[in-house]
Amino acid sequence: MSVSVAPREKVLAATYACVARFGMGKTTVEDVVKESGVSRASIYRLFPGGKDQLLRETVGWEMNRFFTRLAEAVYDAPDFASLLEGGLVFAHRAIQEHEVLRKVLETEPERLLPLITVEQHRVLEFITAFLLPYLEREEQEGRVREGVDLHAAADYVARMILSLIGSPGRWDMDDPEQVSTLVREELLGGILV
Amino acid sequence: MALPTATPQAPSLSPTIEDRAVQAMLACVARHGLAKTTFDDVAREAGCARATLYRYFGGKRQLVRLTVTREAARIAAGIRDAAGAAPTLEDAVVAMVVRAARELRDNESLQFLFAFEPELVLPHVTFDAGNRFLVAAGSAVAPALNRFLPAERAERAAEWLARVVLTHAVSPTSPIDLTDESAARALVREFVLPGLAGAETAVPTTPTTTRG
Repeated sequence: MSVSVAPREKVLAATYACVARFGMGKTTVEDVVKESGVSRASIYRLFPGGKDQLLRETVGWEMNRFFTRLAEAVYDAPDFASLLEGGLVFAHRAIQEHEVLRKVLETEPERLLPLITVEQHRVLEFITAFLLPYLEREEQEGRVREGVDLHAAADYVARMILSLIGSPGRWDMDDPEQVSTLVREELLGGILV
Repeated sequence: MALPTATPQAPSLSPTIEDRAVQAMLACVARHGLAKTTFDDVAREAGCARATLYRYFGGKRQLVRLTVTREAARIAAGIRDAAGAAPTLEDAVVAMVVRAARELRDNESLQFLFAFEPELVLPHVTFDAGNRFLVAAGSAVAPALNRFLPAERAERAAEWLARVVLTHAVSPTSPIDLTDESAARALVREFVLPGLAGAETAVPTTPTTTRG
C-alpha cells in the first residue's frame, strides 16, 4: 500500500498479531513496540490506559473488521430474508474458522469475554444501521407488516442476529433449511408479510 | 435440573443445612462477589460450623455448583408458574418474559457478578457454553407452554424466549424494559409471538393450571 497507515491502526494491528502469537495475558507493550515499529512513547500517547486500553481497543478493532467482512459478504442480497440467511451462514463459518478467537476462548476466555461485552453495543449500532435501509426497501416493496416500526424492527433483528452468531443454540447453521426456517419464522414472522 | 445426591463421605443431606448454605452463598456473593467469598464467610453467614459445611460440600467449588443449580431451578420454576392459568399464549409468554426479566434484575448476586466480575459469568453463557445454556433454559421453561403448543414447538419457542430475554434484559443499551409489562407485551405482540411456530393457532388445551 502506498498510502501510509495511521499509527493507531498500526498499533492495533500489531497488538492483534501479538495476541495471536502470545495470547492476551502474555502480550506486553514492548511486544507491540517491536511488532508495530511505533515508539513506546507514541503508543502511550495514543493509548494512555496502557495495555488494558490497548487490548480493549484491539478487541473492538477486530470486531469491527469481522462485521465489516460480514457486511461485505451480504450487502448485495436480493431481499431482507436472504440477507439475514446469508449473514448467519457466513458469520457462523467465520467464527468457526477464526483461529485467534478459538485459541483465546480456549485458553483465556475470562480476559476476552468482558471486552467483547463492552464493545458489543458498538457492534449493535453498526448492525442496526446496516439493516435499516434493507428494511426500508422491503417496506417500499410492500413486504413489511402493517404498522411495524422499522427502527424497532432493526433493533430487534440486530440483537437476535448477534445472539445467534455467538450461540446458535439448537440451530444448525450449516443446514440451509434450518437457517431459512429460523429467519423466515422466528426472526421475521412479525416483520414481513 | 436435578439436585446432586449425597456425597459418599457425607451423611444424607439435611435440607436445612443445604438451604442455609445456598442462601448464605448468595448473600455473600451479593455483598462481596464470588472471588472474595471464602468457605469460612459462607459458614459464618449460614451460622454453621466450618467442619459441618466441609462435610456436606467438600469445598467452595461444589457449593457454588449447588447454588447455581438451585437458583436456576428456582428461577425456572418461577417463570413456569408465572404462565399460570393465562388464557392465551400471548398472556403466558408476556408473564414469563416479565418474570424472567425481573428475576434477573432482582438477583443481587447475579447483578454483582455482571457489574464487577463478568469474567466469572460470561464463560458460562456465551459461545459454546451459551448454546448449552439456551437449550437448558428452554427445556426448563417449555412445560409452561405445553398447554398451547405441541412439545417440540414448545421447546423451540421456549429457547427463543430465553434468547429474547437475554438479549434485552442484560444489555445496558436496550430500548425496551422487559420488567415493564406493557413494554414486554408490545415486544411480544409485535415481534416475538408472530415468529413462534404454531402461535397463530394456539389455544389452551386444558382449562386448569398445570404445574410444569
